[in-house]
Amino acid sequence: MHVGYMAVLLLLLTGCAHGKPDTVPEPPIAATQPDAPVPGVAKPAGPARPPPTPAAAPAPGAGIPAPSAASKVAPPVAKTPAAAALDLNTLKEELKDTKAIGFFTKVTLKNQVDDLLDQFREFYEGKAKLTLTDLRRSYELLIMKVLSLLQDADQKLASAIVSSREAIWGLLADRTTFANLQG
Amino acid sequence: MNTLTVALAQSLIVAAFFAGPSSADDDEALKKDLTAVIALNGLPCGQVVAVKVQADNDYAASCKDGNQYRVYLSAAGRVVVETQK
Repeated sequence: MHVGYMAVLLLLLTGCAHGKPDTVPEPPIAATQPDAPVPGVAKPAGPARPPPTPAAAPAPGAGIPAPSAASKVAPPVAKTPAAAALDLNTLKEELKDTKAIGFFTKVTLKNQVDDLLDQFREFYEGKAKLTLTDLRRSYELLIMKVLSLLQDADQKLASAIVSSREAIWGLLADRTTFANLQG
Repeated sequence: MNTLTVALAQSLIVAAFFAGPSSADDDEALKKDLTAVIALNGLPCGQVVAVKVQADNDYAASCKDGNQYRVYLSAAGRVVVETQK
């Protein structure tokens, strides 16, 4: 009888250890972040922050017909009060730590974020032919890609990204805050 | 006592069997990862059905629709997807 109990107990214990859900939030680990800290960005990211750019084009955000990704993406994850807007650094850490997407996918997304930041840089330097509306479209498409990857496996992070969407755009669309982002 | 020890050993073996990292799970995770990467690059694939490891961070992926890609991490830290025939 004892043997049976022990076997069941062992199986249960190992099952618990193995079956850790993917959506368990992991604490941000500041020490592993290789990027330079983003001055002035950590705290204010929130939906309340007004888009500060005077040159901002009419935000086409909601009505953007995102070409390929939007068609297969389910409706965005419902906003919940608990899904507070994340600041940019926390968001980066959460994306690094999530188990919902694999290593290559993470690197690819990082590449695409870097490409978008390069486009913003060229835009502010006056070298780009792109308009702010084009950049907004690219930004929305990238967000859609991230959400489509996360929404099933890490709903908490997906909700946080939805909540932070406008705040992040506000940072990018303003020359001064963008310059601060670049460090 | 002997019976208890044997039973304990057996249960440990069973537990280890279920608890150990499953290479099949890893394989599925890699296929899913590469499927996402190919889609993010806007290339047709559907789903990666087979993966061959060519080197560290260098894979040959076969898709359900017949397309084949080499997916690797370049020295510059970029994920590159190349169509293969």
